[in-house]
Amino acid sequence: MDLDAILRSCLEGSQQAWKALVDAYARRIFNMAYQFCGSREEAEDRTQEVFLKLHGALPKYDFGKNFTAWFLTLAKNHLIDEYRRTKWEKTQRDDFDERVLAHAAAGGPEESLVTKEAQALVWEGLNRLSADMRVVIILRDLQGKSYEELAEILTLPLGTVKSRVNRARIQLAKVLQEYRGELA
Amino acid sequence: MTCERMEELLSAYLEGELAAAERAEFEAHLAACPECAELVGLMRETMAAAASFPEVEPSPALYARLYAVPEEKRAKRRLVRPVFEWLARPALQPVYAALTAFIAVLTFVLFHPEGQGIRKKIDIGLHRGFGTVEKLYADAGSIKGEVGTLARNVVKSFDALGLSRANENNK
Repeated sequence: MDLDAILRSCLEGSQQAWKALVDAYARRIFNMAYQFCGSREEAEDRTQEVFLKLHGALPKYDFGKNFTAWFLTLAKNHLIDEYRRTKWEKTQRDDFDERVLAHAAAGGPEESLVTKEAQALVWEGLNRLSADMRVVIILRDLQGKSYEELAEILTLPLGTVKSRVNRARIQLAKVLQEYRGELA
Repeated sequence: MTCERMEELLSAYLEGELAAAERAEFEAHLAACPECAELVGLMRETMAAAASFPEVEPSPALYARLYAVPEEKRAKRRLVRPVFEWLARPALQPVYAALTAFIAVLTFVLFHPEGQGIRKKIDIGLHRGFGTVEKLYADAGSIKGEVGTLARNVVKSFDALGLSRANENNK
């Protein structure tokens, strides 16, 4: 069944179609939420809220549009709104080794030359970025979205997206530099 | 090339999007500026670390919660619908109409510029009413006093009459 058919069945109230939709997007949304807020429990709550919102907003979805970008925009908006409402940046992020690597999905790209130390610093460093900067880093560098997809999700012009990604990367690189300075 | 311009082009450089001439200029700046060279190294490392970030598997409990979203929504609707239905009863329509009219009049009196005259009249009316009540209360007080005196005089008169009759009987 293609995505449009799944969505139409969801609108008709099919539980099976809803399950298929959850299976297709849960991992993506959960990882986005986890990378954004840093706590597994928070991420689970946010993911559930995003799917509740999706269920309510589905009748308003325009079938001519890209569903993934539309859904990720909805998720991004919810994460940023909740972040501003609850100020999670003050909370601790999960320990990278114990909670992130331990639950890593099989077959992921973690077997690389990059050190775990840099990954752990990036994980911690995300907390030092503003919500807008954090989202662009997550979508572009952690989830590997193209600039065009990012422009669609963020509903911003391509040039603005590129310059925002560049600024976010510079901020994160400087955070990495600071952490190393503190550790040395 | 300045350090600021170099920062602007950093991502484009690392993603191989710079034209040959700009790239050469960029690299010439890097060779001469250790701070910028360090920043490029850090950003390259950050991007590589982010790109190889592990994806985390959501728990089966979360999947169960997500599958249950439509049922949860239906349950909420079942809970809220009776309240709406009760509020939307035709029997309550005159109440809503009266409330709406009352709110409209109150809004006009409180906020409309012409409402100021009405408020003044209401104030004067209330003031007069209060004065009248005070006057009535004072009058009632004096009448009460007069009635009391009259009653006492009547009692005294009866007592006097009773005594005189008693004297006549004795004779």
